[in-house]
Amino acid sequence: MRVFRRAMAQAIKELAQFRRDWLTVALAYVLPFAALLMYGFATRLEAKDIHVAIFNFDSGKISREFIDAVYATTQFRVIPSHSGNVLAPLDAGEAKASIIIPPEFSRLIKSGRTADIELLIDGTDVNNARIIKNGFFALTQVFLRDQNLKHKQQLISPAVRLWFNPGRREPLHIVPGSIALLTWIFPALLSAFALVREKEQGTVLQLYASSITALELVLGKAAAYFVVGMVEAAIVIAGGLIIFGIPFVGNLILFVICTMLYVLSGVLFGLWAGSRANNQMAAVQICAMVGFLSSMLLSGFIYPIRNITYPISLLANFVPARYYIEATRDAFVRGGSWLAHWYVPVFLLLINVLILAATSHGMRKMQIAS
Amino acid sequence: MIRMPTTGFTALLAKEFRQLLRNKQLVFMLVAMPTFQLFMYGFALDPEVKHLRLGVVDYSKSPISRDLVSAVVRNGVFDLEESGGDEQQLSYRVRDGRLDIGLVIPPEFERTLKAQRPSRIQVILDGVDANTAGIANGYVNQIIANFGSEAKTYIATGAQDSAIRTDSTFVYNAGLIAAWFFIPGVMGLVLNVAGILVSSATLLREKETGTLEQLLMTPVTSAEILVAKIIPLVALLFVNVGVSLIIGMTIFRMPFRGDPISLFVISLLYIFVVLSLGIALSTVSDNQRQAMLISFFINMPVIQLSGAIAPLESMPPFFQHLSLLNPLRYYIQCLKGVLLKGVGLDVLWPQVLALFCFAFVLLTVSASRFRRQLT
Repeated sequence: MRVFRRAMAQAIKELAQFRRDWLTVALAYVLPFAALLMYGFATRLEAKDIHVAIFNFDSGKISREFIDAVYATTQFRVIPSHSGNVLAPLDAGEAKASIIIPPEFSRLIKSGRTADIELLIDGTDVNNARIIKNGFFALTQVFLRDQNLKHKQQLISPAVRLWFNPGRREPLHIVPGSIALLTWIFPALLSAFALVREKEQGTVLQLYASSITALELVLGKAAAYFVVGMVEAAIVIAGGLIIFGIPFVGNLILFVICTMLYVLSGVLFGLWAGSRANNQMAAVQICAMVGFLSSMLLSGFIYPIRNITYPISLLANFVPARYYIEATRDAFVRGGSWLAHWYVPVFLLLINVLILAATSHGMRKMQIAS
Repeated sequence: MIRMPTTGFTALLAKEFRQLLRNKQLVFMLVAMPTFQLFMYGFALDPEVKHLRLGVVDYSKSPISRDLVSAVVRNGVFDLEESGGDEQQLSYRVRDGRLDIGLVIPPEFERTLKAQRPSRIQVILDGVDANTAGIANGYVNQIIANFGSEAKTYIATGAQDSAIRTDSTFVYNAGLIAAWFFIPGVMGLVLNVAGILVSSATLLREKETGTLEQLLMTPVTSAEILVAKIIPLVALLFVNVGVSLIIGMTIFRMPFRGDPISLFVISLLYIFVVLSLGIALSTVSDNQRQAMLISFFINMPVIQLSGAIAPLESMPPFFQHLSLLNPLRYYIQCLKGVLLKGVGLDVLWPQVLALFCFAFVLLTVSASRFRRQLT
């Protein structure tokens, strides 16, 4: 019980200190919320109004009708091109693709032969380059059907149903991921700051001199920032669901358990970073480079995990966000049975135990050294 | 009033260089940060849609349906994870996230095709990842459309080749290598984060230890103090750009198609932008900790609205307009232009002009703030 009492005292002191500093309070509550809005509203991977330039070297009727078909789509927006150089709009970044209709286009089609349309796509935007290619293919197919140029009706047609997200709304993908990113990194930063501050101001020596053990110190600080982190998680999750109109469809109890374990892993990671770093600059570097980058890049937040190059993909198994994102997507979008992701809380718990062990071990060693 | 640099100035400059290089942490940050970040972004982020887990329920069990499945898995976009079972099981597995796509081929598939009547197959796609689902949807449609026109080998139809063939060429990045998209973005991002932190930290250290007052007692002017601080930082940030460039070109084989002078000009302008931001930050904050915390609030929107990670063109119009006020946006556009497209200042002049204006205004404002603080 003594362990518990001392840890509580440490936690209460930490919370009082946290409240007094307006900048850290803003960092804990204002910045995550602003970041959520920015990620949710501004992160779109797929372009809608793709600017294209058309170079028509044909004077026939079919080419003009084809151009009308391009104008009619919502996916492409035709921009006026000034010069005869087909690469110029791409060079200047004015268009993402140049459509080149060759001379003889209409005549070839009328005589029943195949005409080629050349499409130059700016490959610097890797994701949209593929979308443009697919979109243009689909456009010509529709054009051919409308013009009755298809000699035979298509024999096999796929009836595609998009599950969970039929309108392909990107917030449904980005917002659960952002929630995972933000509810981890900010508690981590705050607890790292708290531990390093004791070192920088020299108050850690007083702690060493007192009878408090390393484990009690870590538990006390962890408890304080766990409370701060859970409030932040509640704000971010509730805000995200209300603002982006995302329903909760999963298992509430499982989700709350996962969230608690996940926030705790962030706090413990921050304490570990704080125990390794000697000043705040170094603590931020550890949190930002190791914590933030891994949660953003190795978690499936933006692109699927299976696309990560091989040896680095193994690291993804140690990233808590990778598990929690599964839980958020389940809770907000899929609503599958909880059995499918039974391993999420188990792995999160395992990671927590590992980090806690590393931190209190590191702290104990330090204590003896000083 | 331009004065010739005094001997005091050169001494000051030498002191600043020594002090900066002695700070192992700053030097480490300028070299290790781009290395680490480029590796992570370059190897971890890849938007290519491949190896989607496919489940097939083939009620038809005919040669044509088996050929259709092999046509779907042929190009590596879809990996056949399982086949068999019924529709119910398939839909459970998609719901649980164990499959990304399910294909249901109806029992009468072969019969209707042979009778030359159209046949429909069902495709269930996990739409959680809206972007991947969109691209996968396009692939399925193309593969099945192509298969349909090839199906004439089984059934004698009069189908002919399509009247219009589209030849798509990807310019600048023919292999659509994802790392080439991310490297210019990460270069700009790292320069931005490191530049603001390092410049505000070096100015604040002097303020925290109170040695700035001592410098003021010496015969050097406040402008000279500032210039002596800036020159080593500019040199160090160029090292940062160089490290990023070397990693990009050696590890990820990114091309450098433009001319080095354009790269130098745009990088110099952007370095002045980040230094000015750092100086301004050091004047509003009391210590390094505060500066660092405030820099989070600056960096987050600047990076998000720069096109470094998600392309600008995809953003909603409001954010696209907002990003016009973001200097990092112009720097990354210039980097992509010079490195990947091989264009020079003659094409990039609007972006370069914007960068120049940002650098000029920010430097004037922050320098005057710095001098006001000293007096």
